[in-house]
Amino acid sequence: MKTPTVIQLHVSSEDQRIAALAALAIAIHVVEASLPSPVPGIKPGLANVITLVVLLLYGWRAAAWVALLRVVAGSLLLGTFLTPTFLLSLAGATASLAILGLALGLHRHLPGQGLGPVSFSLLAAMAHMAGQVLIARWLLIPHDGLFQLLPILMTAAVIFGTVTGLIVQAMLEHIRAAANDESGIRLRDSL
Amino acid sequence: MMTRADRFMLAGAIGLLIWLYASLWGSHLAGESARLRVGNQPSVDVPLNENHRYTLSGPRGDSIIEVSQGRIRFIESPCQGKQCIHSGWLQRDGEFTACIPNRISITVRGRDPRFDTINF
Repeated sequence: MKTPTVIQLHVSSEDQRIAALAALAIAIHVVEASLPSPVPGIKPGLANVITLVVLLLYGWRAAAWVALLRVVAGSLLLGTFLTPTFLLSLAGATASLAILGLALGLHRHLPGQGLGPVSFSLLAAMAHMAGQVLIARWLLIPHDGLFQLLPILMTAAVIFGTVTGLIVQAMLEHIRAAANDESGIRLRDSL
Repeated sequence: MMTRADRFMLAGAIGLLIWLYASLWGSHLAGESARLRVGNQPSVDVPLNENHRYTLSGPRGDSIIEVSQGRIRFIESPCQGKQCIHSGWLQRDGEFTACIPNRISITVRGRDPRFDTINF
């Protein structure tokens, strides 16, 4: 005698929101992957705009979901799942999520406006790069010579981190402005 | 607008970059002398802070090596490929070039040489 089992997954509105935002991040990730990069390991990482917006609007948990879903689903779409590229991406995302968690804790204890999007973005970008380089040093190129690349890689991280932070700041201003007028409430709810 | 913390953070990030450049690519890598070797003869160290032209005689003839502004290069060598000349200026600790046909090599050495030997 078999008992029919029905597994029901309850999809909360928060799940749907995370899925929608992750889809957005994945789309940016895939588009960006098709852009040529002058130096391996350097790319703008614009998908992180979404991670940061989510972090600042919905908190760390939601941001972690979006970032990790983007890494896994993005790699499935690009065919890099479980390859070194995926490992680097995952290491970067994990490191930047860790630092973002710490930064959010610090932000709450800072006087005044505290950290703005640019700070979060800079910290995340630098942690992302550091995480990638450490994993690369450990697993891919086990030689200290790799660290000679750090100045260039970190310069890229600081530039792209600042740009990403400014984009996040502009987006948040738009979202907040939109949320303040009538039509914006629908926008906020749909996010 | 960026918050005050943002500006501090950006300044800190730029400070970190300066530190990275200074410590990883900094002047402690500058060469101070060059070790010249001809065939199996004992090597000769020449300082890089004195502009000078050295003429070294190898089995094929004379190679001319120029030292200028802390850098060193081959400017003439009696070989076919001229790879030694094309490798251009050497100035950092550990940089190396050679004219194999004329059996002459140059190794740049810093204050505190990073490498004991280099194999190719």
